[in-house]
Amino acid sequence: MAATPEPRATTPATGEPLLRAVNLTRHFRLGGLFSKSALHAVDDFNITIQEREIVALVGESGSGKSTVARLLARIYRPTRGEIFYRGRPVNRMRSRKDLLWYRGEVPIVLQDPFSAFHPVFRVSHGVMRNLALHRPELSHDERKHEAERACEAVGLSPKMLTRFPYEMSGGERQRIGFAQALAVGPKLILADEPVSMLDVSIRIGVLNMMAGLRDREGVSILYITHDLASARYVADRVVVMYAGHQVEAGPTETVLSDPKHPYTQLLMSAAADPREKEAEISADTGDPPRVIDPSEGCRFRWRCPLAIEKCALVTPHLKPIGSTLVACHVATGDTAAAPGAANPAGTANPAGTASVTNR
Amino acid sequence: MAEPLLEVDDLTVEYATDAGETRAVDGVSFTVGAGEFLGIVGESGCGKTTLLFAVAQLLSPPGEVVGGKVMFHGRDMVRLSGGELRSIRWRDYSIVMQSAMNALNPMKSIGAQFKDTLQAHGDASANDVRRRSTEVMSLVGIDPAHLQSYPHQLSGGMRQRAMIAMALLYTPQLVIMDEPTSALDVVAQQSLMSKIKELQRNLGFAVIFVTHDMSVVSRYSDRVLVMYAGQVAEAASTEAIFDRPLHPYTRGLMTAFPSLRGPRRELTGIPGSPPDLARPPSGCRFHPRCPDVMPACLEREPELYPVDGAEVRCLLYTERAEQARQTV
Amino acid sequence: MAIPDIAVADSITDIDAAGASRRFLHAVLGNRKAAAGAVILLVMAFVAAFPGLIAPDDPQAAIYAQSAGPSSAHLLGTTQLGQDVFSQLIWSTRLTLIVTLIVSAIATFLSTIIGVTSAYFGGVTDRVLTVFIDVFLILPVLPLLILLAAYLPPGVTSLTIVLCITSWAFQARQLRSQGLSIRNRDYLVAARARGERGIYIILVEIVPTMTSLIAASFLALAVYVVGFAASLQFLGLGNSSELMWGTMLYNAQQSAALEAGNAWWALGPGAAVALLGAGFALLNYAFDEIGNPALRPVRKRRDGGKRRGRASA
Repeated sequence: MAATPEPRATTPATGEPLLRAVNLTRHFRLGGLFSKSALHAVDDFNITIQEREIVALVGESGSGKSTVARLLARIYRPTRGEIFYRGRPVNRMRSRKDLLWYRGEVPIVLQDPFSAFHPVFRVSHGVMRNLALHRPELSHDERKHEAERACEAVGLSPKMLTRFPYEMSGGERQRIGFAQALAVGPKLILADEPVSMLDVSIRIGVLNMMAGLRDREGVSILYITHDLASARYVADRVVVMYAGHQVEAGPTETVLSDPKHPYTQLLMSAAADPREKEAEISADTGDPPRVIDPSEGCRFRWRCPLAIEKCALVTPHLKPIGSTLVACHVATGDTAAAPGAANPAGTANPAGTASVTNR
Repeated sequence: MAEPLLEVDDLTVEYATDAGETRAVDGVSFTVGAGEFLGIVGESGCGKTTLLFAVAQLLSPPGEVVGGKVMFHGRDMVRLSGGELRSIRWRDYSIVMQSAMNALNPMKSIGAQFKDTLQAHGDASANDVRRRSTEVMSLVGIDPAHLQSYPHQLSGGMRQRAMIAMALLYTPQLVIMDEPTSALDVVAQQSLMSKIKELQRNLGFAVIFVTHDMSVVSRYSDRVLVMYAGQVAEAASTEAIFDRPLHPYTRGLMTAFPSLRGPRRELTGIPGSPPDLARPPSGCRFHPRCPDVMPACLEREPELYPVDGAEVRCLLYTERAEQARQTV
Repeated sequence: MAIPDIAVADSITDIDAAGASRRFLHAVLGNRKAAAGAVILLVMAFVAAFPGLIAPDDPQAAIYAQSAGPSSAHLLGTTQLGQDVFSQLIWSTRLTLIVTLIVSAIATFLSTIIGVTSAYFGGVTDRVLTVFIDVFLILPVLPLLILLAAYLPPGVTSLTIVLCITSWAFQARQLRSQGLSIRNRDYLVAARARGERGIYIILVEIVPTMTSLIAASFLALAVYVVGFAASLQFLGLGNSSELMWGTMLYNAQQSAALEAGNAWWALGPGAAVALLGAGFALLNYAFDEIGNPALRPVRKRRDGGKRRGRASA
């Protein structure tokens, strides 16, 4: 498969991007030892994250967004593809020292505040272990000081560190999760659905805290979520995923106010604003995508109101339309039937093609 | 005014824990009219699920109803015997649980489970079973061929629909639902909710819908009950709740939703977290988190006061409510 | 912490180290079987620690009438050599208990480490270790013992070694299962993600969450060891001059005690073995309850359910 052009960050680049993933792919083998069947969780995923920015990775179940987080956190090894952190290839890092360095710079915060903490230890355990592993040059007292500082940076009193997980609410635990990540001085925090399991009234507090981390601590955040509204609230840029592929990427306001990909449009119309009363009823029943041994072609085509013949034959790649990137033959005007024919129609006028008007 | 279908009066539920008795539901009263869609919203620990279990008579020790009544068809369900309950369960009211995978038997086909349900609650011949099963599957929009399928072969959305189909087997007058859409993605959620609403309009059953998601409630319910710390904080028509929220908690909830459209604003949510019901705060249970707290709030427990057609449990409204009572 | 709306607690999230001993005590005292087991073991421990208080006679002094039946002077009669059986029984408690505890401890340790390592690393390591466990599970114990008896000097040390080798595999599979069920818990994923080494995760993060299961395994093993040690010694694979219940059984059998009229020489130690085994087995019931809160007896409401009215502010 041809490598897709890297999506350029649409915010003014401050030099080399902090993190760059190219053609990131992860397949999970299904069945026994000799089975050829595979689940394509992520295919040819590219992302660029700059310093001091929050990028939202939006998708539903089966989209592959959590897998992306785990690939970037090196919990999974990629089937294919490369990750570059500050220009250094992460996949080729072998020594424990290098790996520890990367893990200290790019920690992950997990989704479920109720199971992310060891039930037997106080919550300080994770923070102090993180410091012991990644800041070994500090003395014990200095580490304690760092732990307390991280605690305050997430809006909690340092006394919270001495509590057991079951003594804390979901929101407090999630903040400690961020404190754990923050204590080692990271540049990029991978946040895997950090507010999905929290009560609604508490989510805003955590989201505000995340924005604060970006502004005051200078940390970038990859915010993984299924909730477009919260993505709009905190993120500078949005990447929308479907069935292991990216379908649209760009600055938050642009993507959400004028979505070009039919899937993004579907999400926007389905996401209800509690203050809105009337709703369009779509015929889509929201069935999850098919990612087991998928064939070539757009994976959204079975649900897409605009699908044409080409969609079943050629996998669309991200192409720029204005300031966003869209992976859709129809949206980009790439409707020439012959696959492989180089089609420079990427800059076609979107209004001219049969795009679905935003409801 | 028509006789309400369900009338819950001062219902109180306690759990016996190692730490003592905890009141999960404290003096909750509400009514549901025929064909009405009532949304019960609240966050974790508010008691909404316990309330639902109590109304549906599904509580088991250490939870126990210690006070109040649940009047359905003129009879107090709390005091009905097992046999009497069985005669009305599923025929007059039915339940849809939060996760179909918890309620459906993974070892049996959908059709077999429908058959079990039909035969458990009435005499149904094989023909009746087949006919009715096919009918309800079509009602919820699933190809009746899936009667042969096993739960794991269906997607999450379809499983929830199957649950709803099962709940409608005897066309009950009241369907109680516990967050049936929370495990689904947003597109499936919307699809399911609009189907539920369509069925409700066509078949005329009442719905009690428990959820933490205000957006679901805003689009589909007629009335809303907002619960906090085991009590009803506010009860009003959906329109009133969203356009004129009265209780500071409800107002706080309204501001806790980032919006997808319209201007981007900084939101604050509600500081603090829900109280531990084993040791609730003195006076009004919301006072530690309330932006409009007054000194009286720490001492007096507010009652549910009628205000402009709604009911609010907040001292801010006592003067108005008492005035209204006096002038009547 | 908000009360869960539904009355079933998740036992993993309920664990806390500080409350563990309190909960254990609570579980033992609240459960009649476990309390009975605890009493038996405490009595045994006392007897093992202070045998002289109960049976002041020297158990090995062969100074009494030979092969006498029970009497007020000799509660369980005397041996063929004229030793007081009751004294022997009491004084044998110590070594029997020590051997039981040591073997159980070593075997539990081995099964925990091997079982959890196998579960945690998965893949090839898991396959190899599982085979290893299975091999030890199906080892034919008796032929192995007879073989070893030719090379090892008879006695407590050999007994301990043989028992350890043959009993650790039993619980390893169970501990491996438990390990498999928790290896993908978020807090372990988080530990891997922050760069912890595998050994650290196994010892510090996984094993402490399995204390109930490990304790239960220990007790189950102890039941097995008590009986099996006695059996082995009865078959003559112990050292008959060591003071243990099993060796008493051997000696009694060698001297045909049942025919000679002092049947208590055999029945005494036999009953003691059974009692000790029962003690461990009964105490194990406490762990069922701790590990699975759904099994906890629903405690009656203290006021009989009559209290009504508003909750106090």
